[in-house]
Amino acid sequence: MSMEKTLDKALLSDWIAAVTSGGWQVHGPALEDGIWTFKPVAASVDLDYPNVKQAPKDFAFPQREIFFAFEHIKGEAPRLKEVKPEAPQCAVFGVRPCDGRGAVRMDKVFSDNVNDPYYQERRKNTAYVGLACNAPPSPTCFCKSVGGSPVSSEGMDILLTDLGEIYIAQAATKTGEALMAAADKLFGKMGAADKKQLDKVHADAVAAPQRAVKDAKGAPAALKAGFDSAVWEEMAKPCIGCGICTFLCPTCHCFDINDEMTGMSPLKGQRVRTWDNCQFPDFTMHTSGHNPRETLGTRLRQRVSHKFRYFHENFGMLQCTGCGRCVSECPVGIDIVAVVNKVAEHVA
Amino acid sequence: MSHSHAHANTYLPKLAKIVHIKEEIGGERAIKTYRLEFENGDGFDHEVGQCAMLSIFGRGESMISIASSPLTKEYKQFSIMRVGRVTKAFHELQVGDVVGIRGPYGNQFPLSAWKGKNLVVIGGGVGLAPVWPIVTTAVAKRADYKDITVFYGARSSKDIMYREDLERIRGQATVHLSVDRAEEGWKEFVGFVPANVLAKKPDPKNTVAIVCGPPIMIKFVIQNLQQLGFTDEQIYTTIENKMKCGVGKCGRCNVGKDYVCVNGPVYSWAQLKDLPQEY
Repeated sequence: MSMEKTLDKALLSDWIAAVTSGGWQVHGPALEDGIWTFKPVAASVDLDYPNVKQAPKDFAFPQREIFFAFEHIKGEAPRLKEVKPEAPQCAVFGVRPCDGRGAVRMDKVFSDNVNDPYYQERRKNTAYVGLACNAPPSPTCFCKSVGGSPVSSEGMDILLTDLGEIYIAQAATKTGEALMAAADKLFGKMGAADKKQLDKVHADAVAAPQRAVKDAKGAPAALKAGFDSAVWEEMAKPCIGCGICTFLCPTCHCFDINDEMTGMSPLKGQRVRTWDNCQFPDFTMHTSGHNPRETLGTRLRQRVSHKFRYFHENFGMLQCTGCGRCVSECPVGIDIVAVVNKVAEHVA
Repeated sequence: MSHSHAHANTYLPKLAKIVHIKEEIGGERAIKTYRLEFENGDGFDHEVGQCAMLSIFGRGESMISIASSPLTKEYKQFSIMRVGRVTKAFHELQVGDVVGIRGPYGNQFPLSAWKGKNLVVIGGGVGLAPVWPIVTTAVAKRADYKDITVFYGARSSKDIMYREDLERIRGQATVHLSVDRAEEGWKEFVGFVPANVLAKKPDPKNTVAIVCGPPIMIKFVIQNLQQLGFTDEQIYTTIENKMKCGVGKCGRCNVGKDYVCVNGPVYSWAQLKDLPQEY
């Protein structure tokens, strides 16, 4: 880390004001109807919070994105008007390490093979000011077992660590350094005592017990060997196909593309991308009616295998970052940790 | 972000005009062949086996195999069966109508690696379209290949697509047609495509076989080719899955780690047999 400084907690609002006047829209955690979400921050923000209910993937990959508008007057050629994303500079304060690592994985998907211009435009205007998890924010956390850490700065521009009266701010990118430099006077030098306390807090955070995928390194091979296991259908039985697991996930990126009509004469509309979901049966259904993933078990296998096998085969890293949302929010208690462990056990 | 991609928007279709429509087959699942010419000086080159995403604005997009040879530069040809929302809308279109097209997507048949070999191209139903550019390209470069054999089967003689084209290439290629059930005046094979392949016994020596058609036909053709001594490396096929983006991001056409729109649609059986059967 090239730039490591202290910030008095009382000065957080001044820093946010400085970042805002530097042209950034600052977002921070807000409790709304009992649900933590990232909202634009007016004055200050309370970073003493667990984690947002929904992973902040929508800053770069909104749930709905207009690609272009079309108009087709009868007898003429259709006219297309590309819609460029309106992507204000957003600095998101309080991003948890699992979600920072999620952003790294989304970056892989949207830059591999062909760049996705909409994602890229939004992503380059997004900065993540992370917040280390001194203690697991949820009983369903399992980041350590999938190669992450509660104090990881992967995917972050800055990592903040709460030391009680102060934060330690560690810049991880040039953007992060610039965000700190914008309010240079607010920050203090990290002294030896601060460093010692930081190391202790980080060590305690890493030592805190979590749930665990038993052998994440062996998971790609285990899921390959267990592809035809009966465990998939058995564990998918209660699934109601609601898709909350993929909706909240920091790394689920599947989407649909559809034409939305705004007028019939002349024919007018727009082509729109929306999030989609591999747990819906029509996600893969051919026009003929044939469906390569016809059953609940095949769809659960797809979700879990994508996270723990296919993504690893393509990018050399597990896609799952262990945030635990799909476990805590599943209405029927399907548990990705238990599924991976059980398939692995079954083939062992 | 790489600067060279700064202006590329893969999701934005180019416009192309329908300059020719041929009705191949009538009935409930009619097939029409469309020739599209790019508008506004736009365009792209493609390789044998690649696909393009065709748009009817207001209806949506469909991924369709490019059925013309890359050697044909003036237009791109697509044979479209009337089955879903977009393809039904396609069947309403007239010559002169303008549609959207983006691509090309997917990998290709390794035609240049097949130079000096015998080609056995096996199609069933609308599955002739994706492999047809192999035939037309190889016939156009006839000296590059040894024997070219085409097997094609349809339910009845009324369901045979590319009928004139198949007749036209006789002499440069051996054509074996079949219909599922006997009918008056039919002089060629009666029965399913796999049986015709077994009856004609193509020699596997220095040969590649390429098969496309209904999944059940592909399955039995491959079994019969193996019985004739073809190795898994000598057998190729092309698969399809539902697609939206064409660039490996929307997540639905995957077969294991592969996205059919990027890593497919062309596979040797040696490659495909190791992938999950999710297609």
